[in-house]
Amino acid sequence: MDNRRPEYLVPALIAGAVAGVLSGIPFVNCLCCLWIIGGAALATHLLAKKTPGPLTAGDGAIVGALTGIVAATVDALMGIPLRPLNEAFLHRFMASLARVVDQLPAGWQDWVQRGTSTGFSLAGFFLGLFISAAIFAVLGVLGGVIGVSLFGRKKIYPPPPPATQGPANAAV
Amino acid sequence: MDDTLSPASPAVVRRAVEPAFAVTFLGALAWIAAIFLAPYLRSRSSGAASFLYAVFAPVCHQIPSRCFYFHGFPLAVCGRCLGIYAGFLAGLAAYPFVRGFRKIALPPVRLLILLSLPAGIDFAGGFVGAWTSPIWVRFGTGLVWGVILPYYFLTGVSELLLWRSVRKSGASTRASPDGTGLDNLGTKHVE
Repeated sequence: MDNRRPEYLVPALIAGAVAGVLSGIPFVNCLCCLWIIGGAALATHLLAKKTPGPLTAGDGAIVGALTGIVAATVDALMGIPLRPLNEAFLHRFMASLARVVDQLPAGWQDWVQRGTSTGFSLAGFFLGLFISAAIFAVLGVLGGVIGVSLFGRKKIYPPPPPATQGPANAAV
Repeated sequence: MDDTLSPASPAVVRRAVEPAFAVTFLGALAWIAAIFLAPYLRSRSSGAASFLYAVFAPVCHQIPSRCFYFHGFPLAVCGRCLGIYAGFLAGLAAYPFVRGFRKIALPPVRLLILLSLPAGIDFAGGFVGAWTSPIWVRFGTGLVWGVILPYYFLTGVSELLLWRSVRKSGASTRASPDGTGLDNLGTKHVE
């Protein structure tokens, strides 16, 4: 029996990059964790196309976790140039919300200010990346196994039977 | 759900599923507790609140108008995400009774599609501007979808644990070539 593992890395890199970009763009990221789950399912689809046999749930879990880690890295890297855009978006959104909703608690401006005014720090970046990678990997496992359920159950056809020898040969 | 007998010994399967279930259950409980802890800490002006909100920021937009409030501040995730996580925990709590620990199987795809439909329709309608769902509808549709998710997650994690134990014994862990979709670890890929 073939005991080789499929090649997980390339599908995880492709799908992780797509999911990371989509989850990092302001407004587009309103789909929350679904980008990561969807990205992991996409990775499983790519893996299933490259793998001759059916995939197992474990295959989906591995490629999904890798996809999540790649997506977290891409998301974190995209966050550096997009940080001013994200802050401006948040301020504009909260200001417009405060005009129409009286439900916002008092002092929300201070809350937003505290959340966005902290400058960039390398330690903070790597801590955030580590936490994101752990969370995205878990979500990726989920998406990868769902992907196996959707794409990974290919029918394997048995090899053709060996050519039968004719009666003339058999008699020799 | 499928009731196919596993070719792997039920005792071996149980040794993989039980720890996966325990860790996942504790993790899900801690995750939901942290969602409620963030606004509570914010109301107490604790600096840890910012850290908790930041932890959830990569997986949720955290738009205040779409969040439930606790102690005067929005939860760390939106209503739909809270529904998904609550549904995950509910599905996990039902796991021992629905599936048990002696076998590993993926749920039928049709069930996944059926339970995904409410959230999908609700999101699509909101996205194209056909309607704006109240937060309880978002929560409810997320909850319905979340219920099935632990059956996928636990299957994947349990199978990874099974791989480790089977690899120690030197056996193969690849899918069977007979086209049944039943790999030799016992995972049944249900239609």
